[in-house]
Amino acid sequence: MPKLTIDGREIEVEAGRTVLQAALSAGNEIPHYCYHPGLSIAGNCRMCLVEVEKAPKLLIACDTRVQEGMVVHTDSERVRGARASMMEFFLINHPLDCPICDQAGECRLQEYAMEHGRGISRYVEAKNAFEKAVDIGRHVMLDQERCIQCSRCIRFCDEVTRTGELAFFRRGESTVIGVVPGKPLDNPYSGNVVDICPVGALTLKEFRFKTRVWYLQNTPSVCAACSRGCNVFVGVGTQRLLMATQGQQDESIKRIVPRVNDVVNGHWMCDEGRLSYRRLYSGERLVRARTRDDDDATWEDAVRTAAAILKSAAGKVGLLISPRLTSEDMLAWRLLLERLGGGPVGVRRLVEGKDDDLLIRADKGANSQGASWIFGDATAEADLFAAARAGRLATLVIVGDALNPEDGPSVEAAARERIASVIHVGPFVPGDAASAAVLLPSAAWSEEDGTIVNFEGRIQRVRRCHLPRGEGRPGWRVARDVAEAARLEMPPWTSSAEVLASLAERVAEYEGLDLESIGLLGAETGVGLGA
Amino acid sequence: MDRILTANVHKDRSFALEVYEAGGGYQALRKAVQTPPDDLQEIVKASGLRGRGGAGFPTGVKWTFMPKQPQGPMYLVCNADESEPGTFKDRLIMEKDPHLLLEGCLIASYAIRASACYVYIRGEFHHAARVMERAIAEVYAKGYAGRNILGSGYDCEVVLHEGAGAYICGEETALMTSLEGNRGYPRLKPPFPAQAGLWGRPTTINNVETLANVPFIVERGAEWYQSIGKAPKNTGPKLYCLSGHVKRPGVYEAPLGLPLKELIYDLGGGMLHADRPLKAVIPGGSSVPVLTAEECVVDLDFDSLAAIGSMLGSAGIMVMDASTCMVKAIERITHFYAHESCGQCTPCREGCGWLERILNRIESGRGRQEDMDLLLDIADNIQGQTICPLGDAAAMPVRSFVKKFRPEFQAHVDRKACTVSSHAQAHD
Repeated sequence: MPKLTIDGREIEVEAGRTVLQAALSAGNEIPHYCYHPGLSIAGNCRMCLVEVEKAPKLLIACDTRVQEGMVVHTDSERVRGARASMMEFFLINHPLDCPICDQAGECRLQEYAMEHGRGISRYVEAKNAFEKAVDIGRHVMLDQERCIQCSRCIRFCDEVTRTGELAFFRRGESTVIGVVPGKPLDNPYSGNVVDICPVGALTLKEFRFKTRVWYLQNTPSVCAACSRGCNVFVGVGTQRLLMATQGQQDESIKRIVPRVNDVVNGHWMCDEGRLSYRRLYSGERLVRARTRDDDDATWEDAVRTAAAILKSAAGKVGLLISPRLTSEDMLAWRLLLERLGGGPVGVRRLVEGKDDDLLIRADKGANSQGASWIFGDATAEADLFAAARAGRLATLVIVGDALNPEDGPSVEAAARERIASVIHVGPFVPGDAASAAVLLPSAAWSEEDGTIVNFEGRIQRVRRCHLPRGEGRPGWRVARDVAEAARLEMPPWTSSAEVLASLAERVAEYEGLDLESIGLLGAETGVGLGA
Repeated sequence: MDRILTANVHKDRSFALEVYEAGGGYQALRKAVQTPPDDLQEIVKASGLRGRGGAGFPTGVKWTFMPKQPQGPMYLVCNADESEPGTFKDRLIMEKDPHLLLEGCLIASYAIRASACYVYIRGEFHHAARVMERAIAEVYAKGYAGRNILGSGYDCEVVLHEGAGAYICGEETALMTSLEGNRGYPRLKPPFPAQAGLWGRPTTINNVETLANVPFIVERGAEWYQSIGKAPKNTGPKLYCLSGHVKRPGVYEAPLGLPLKELIYDLGGGMLHADRPLKAVIPGGSSVPVLTAEECVVDLDFDSLAAIGSMLGSAGIMVMDASTCMVKAIERITHFYAHESCGQCTPCREGCGWLERILNRIESGRGRQEDMDLLLDIADNIQGQTICPLGDAAAMPVRSFVKKFRPEFQAHVDRKACTVSSHAQAHD
């Protein structure tokens, strides 16, 4: 491994790495725009120029391979001068419309201008005027004036999705990014170009003008839109909270962006997942516990009613469950069912389309893998419904989807007719759930901590990004409350971490794991459906 | 000196194969294909031939960068994009003596073990392209190109490709990218073309005039070649493109090292107007630093011009007399580079347009006292910081014009107008 010296510090890096990568790994951020670790090297922004001893010119750190004995200066007078001049070049034709730009606050142009720029402009000429607010695709808007032509978005479409919608048009200072007429940017991963745009040239239609980014509270979590489990940051708006001291439960998710995890999703995520949070707001939310017979029922009343129904039906209780629940919730419902003497379990299968060669999985059950570990493989919905049709079930507990009200789960009519009472638990009131004997609100995907298991058997943490709506609470707590009311013995969990400890005891694949060992990037088990 | 490179150009039907052969054409190719490729590389190296496209890199040395044991196809690319303003020598060769170029291409291809030769011709050279097409058809028919050339067992295809009219595609890596069917953007180096060039394969790129020298070197030897010009480093015949305020503009052949004054006053017939003395000369195409009249006591070769801070470049010699407004001249040159900047990298894309706007203000009487220093600073910030040499090409003339003719810029600023009286005439 070659050793080189960067700013007087000797570091050793893998051969074939670049000076920029070496510096980054040593915590020295050489400023850069066009370089992106998930894309090929373009070398066009010229922001990462550094001084390498024995080289007559400054070299771009992004395209200079490390060599044994290389001596690099990233903060010499020459380098600082070059950076200041690049900043000046970037800004002379830039509209400087930060006050109305969505990127403001997370804009590399702002950041580097503050850090490396001259602070004043020597440019007194007219600026180039280009198209602003160009609709280039289903989710993406382009502002040609803000663009610094780093070509990250073009390279993304060429190299990652291999759809090639974006290109440079015209040349010189008239160069603009655009799409070929009739071929808009609408590949399933188009939103990523917005994330990698270092400036405000590309904005997401669903996020633009929604909030300033400094009001976002970003929580590291995992996407639940399919069984890939892309690592994400969930950005929740806090502006109203700050301005009006209202409860945070009034706040909503403003955007989801991918979080780097090389072994799961790299730097990317699909548009479906990126916009999946909108499902949370698309249907009727269940905010208060209800019973069919008493409009004024409290949470305690509803839990007692549910407990009574379950007790009387013990041995004839079935469980229909969404594959998007956390493993913690699933374990809690499994234990409750066991305490009631057991019964058939149906895990909803959510399959749509095909796996693609990038990230998207046909299995939309974010925790299908965890369900198979916790409930075993004999969980076909059809078998559950057959048991109901045969009159073997008196009560059915339906634990609804945590992300999408349209994904139920719902019971086929013929089976439902033979079931005396349904207890519906979930964040929504999907389909005919309103007719259930008892409805108990539980937390949605973004409202509770827990773990889910992706198709490769990787256990990852989903996180509470904001408080649940109304009386909603984590599913494991609902199950525990019901068990308590029914005087059934359940572990006295008070946190999801304690439920995780139970999982580690009872589910072989979870053995030895805790929050710390799962961490931000998840824990591999090597036991996956799709492996 | 007897004419060498231009020996055929005045002959009737000089473009035809039979005329070329009657003058001894393709004898060098016959000799070459009987010679080991490495020996040819050595002969060209010994001749001292330096690239005539602008940089003056030793051609034989460039050839030795190619792998000796080809692992798959390798290419020769002939740079026939001739796009530097003030340069029109390659066009003469292609229109009048296409077989000289093709013979050079085939020998060079053989010497570097290329499996194909691409001639990338400037899009505006429509006539030259038709002449080249005809000549290529002739060499295929005669067995000089294609399979088993002259029974030697060597195969080489020759392909003509017309550009679409971009200055940048004369830059060798942009040329290759364009040839591959992509937008003509220069590439990062390394890798150099001899490592990964056209379609990622080892490639040598030579200028038209460079390749036109090769048949003579092969036929007459390195020693003969060294006897022309200024041995050891500035040898051989050279085509000079003379334009501007001279009586007889045109392409002149003379040995490397021809005194500039001899070109202007003897070959070129002197200044166009007797009452307007020489003011400045751009000696190597519009991208090189300008010379003042006092500096014109220089020989036209790579090293003599480098010694006084300019370049022979493509030997496009542009002569300017006293009626020339130097601000207008550099404004026009800078307009060209701003227009032709590919826009790929920041300093050139943004800087060239900025330079042009400032020059435009000064020329039209809206200059500020600080503009001259600003021009120099912007030029400094472009130069050496770009992917390809276009940034330097735009910056170098601006620096030299401002430095050498600063009082004229100052006068524009002070008097808020162009100060050269015969302005209108100068810009005819």
